[in-house]
Amino acid sequence: MEKPSLSVDFCGIKMETPIVLLSGCVGFGEEYTRVNGYSNREIGAICLKGTTLEPRLGNTPHRIIETPGGMINSIGLQNPGAEHVINNILPNLDFSETRYIANISGSSVEEYGEIAAMFDDSPVDSIEINISCPNVKDGGAVFGNDPEVSARVVEACRKATTKPLITKLSPNQTDIANNAQHCIDAGTDAFAVINTLMGMSIDIDRRRPIIGNNQGGLSGPAIKPVALLKVHQVYQVCKDHNIPIIGQGGISNAEDAIEFIIAGATTIGIGTALFSDPLICSSINSGIEEYMRKHQTSSLSDLTGTLELNQAAPATPSCEC
Amino acid sequence: MNPDRDSIFKEETTILEHLHLDGDQHILKLNSPDIASTALPGSFVHVECGPQFTLRRPISIMRADKNSGTIELLYKRLGRGTTALSEREVGEPLSLLGPIGRPFIPHPERKRPLLIGGGVGMPPMVFIAESLRSDSSYQPFAILGSEVPFPFPVTPSQMVIPGMPDGVIGSMPLLEDWGIPNRLASLQGYPGTHDGYVTDLARHWLDALTVEERSQVELFSCGPHPMLEAVATLAREYDLPCQVSLEEFMACGVGGCAGCVVQIETPQGPAMKRVCVDGPVFEATAVFGA
Repeated sequence: MEKPSLSVDFCGIKMETPIVLLSGCVGFGEEYTRVNGYSNREIGAICLKGTTLEPRLGNTPHRIIETPGGMINSIGLQNPGAEHVINNILPNLDFSETRYIANISGSSVEEYGEIAAMFDDSPVDSIEINISCPNVKDGGAVFGNDPEVSARVVEACRKATTKPLITKLSPNQTDIANNAQHCIDAGTDAFAVINTLMGMSIDIDRRRPIIGNNQGGLSGPAIKPVALLKVHQVYQVCKDHNIPIIGQGGISNAEDAIEFIIAGATTIGIGTALFSDPLICSSINSGIEEYMRKHQTSSLSDLTGTLELNQAAPATPSCEC
Repeated sequence: MNPDRDSIFKEETTILEHLHLDGDQHILKLNSPDIASTALPGSFVHVECGPQFTLRRPISIMRADKNSGTIELLYKRLGRGTTALSEREVGEPLSLLGPIGRPFIPHPERKRPLLIGGGVGMPPMVFIAESLRSDSSYQPFAILGSEVPFPFPVTPSQMVIPGMPDGVIGSMPLLEDWGIPNRLASLQGYPGTHDGYVTDLARHWLDALTVEERSQVELFSCGPHPMLEAVATLAREYDLPCQVSLEEFMACGVGGCAGCVVQIETPQGPAMKRVCVDGPVFEATAVFGA
């Protein structure tokens, strides 16, 4: 058997490993290099901090709180604006180390297109469209929870760039697969599934929400089962179109990662798990390799979507008692 | 490329000592050679309190000994994370990330540092005090405040401090041993301590200095936010530079998530700065206004 290869092709982007570091967790790509032993070379791609047309100060503290099996965050897309990112941050990134994905948010359909056009003329490998940020009033999930509006955003970005487009889907909607189908029709090249779930945490002494913005996005192991099901559902509409998925939501070890790949993910997103272990990517990579050896799989793409569903249970016999 | 590459270590340390003190206070001594070798006053470590926690907990470093490769932390049991930490025993491993953060930086021309620490804000003041011992040109004075029993035996000081109220003679033995004069304040009426605020003692001390001496003062402070605000007000009143160390709920601890920000004033207007890597030490004027 050939040596297992962790490299994957993600809508034309060649990634050395299937690990994608998620937007909002790793700043603009250089923050984790502070940690001795961490290397961007172990990462397939890094989604840069969510970027808007104009600079944003972000939300009022507290912005994060730990919850059982996870955490809530409400950062509010703090960023220096697209022009600053393109002119002052991207030139300082080492593109020989990993692939970089811009993550964009607009306050109107047209603005999404405008920012996508700006990044089209930049060295990023791909653009992730954030239509699912739960933490800003004038954008984000306003677009992502309506399939028609989601499609219009994707369409505007599609007209503005030839770079691969990744649409980040919200779990806070009725039918994520239906939304995915609309986005495919509008020209998305890939999906990131899922963004955070909406949540709240309350200080019972003060009787106030702990998060300054009152509510925020829940991430971490607590949301993994939800994310896994959403990946499975989105994969059902993606598989016939050859549209790959970044599976994400609570992944904190190699076994979690493999579950997502089996459910339909081509790559896997790591975010919250980095916070307790900034060197976790190395162990996830080796854990995936070990699984591939055990199951005699040389190519990771052979595992994607290999889930076999159980037979539906027979109807319960009527009770005669 | 990040100029701070490889500056933070993920270190699997061993608990060498774990002291449990009154007021839910605890002192950890850890075998942590990498962190001990580069820690500076104001640095903190991000502590994994147990596998059940999604996030680490930031705790200030109180002492770092490069030679022995050890560090000491003083923390207070407050929530679930620090409760789990308080149950860890000597000999057990403890995962740390550190040292993290921009440190206190004394100005060399300010030879009379005034160190003001409150509660679990005391440890960075001890760290600064120890670091200043190597330069005899500094004449620091430390004021420590606590509303739970001090995490050391309050001992009558042998050093006379001009301007101190009668009876305020209690001191921290470690600082006293280092030859660093210090006094204590509390609203709890502990014997030998000032029955009031740390800023009362600071004012007494400043007022007893000559104008020339006062021009050599710089304030360093860590503690509860209202205390820091009072210290910043005092510094503004006496027109003295002041650095404060802040805390905020923290997730990654390495600058990635922007979860731990505080709003500060910059020449360009308000900005959200990360406590973990842009701080935890900030100029008081940036936080509380000039």
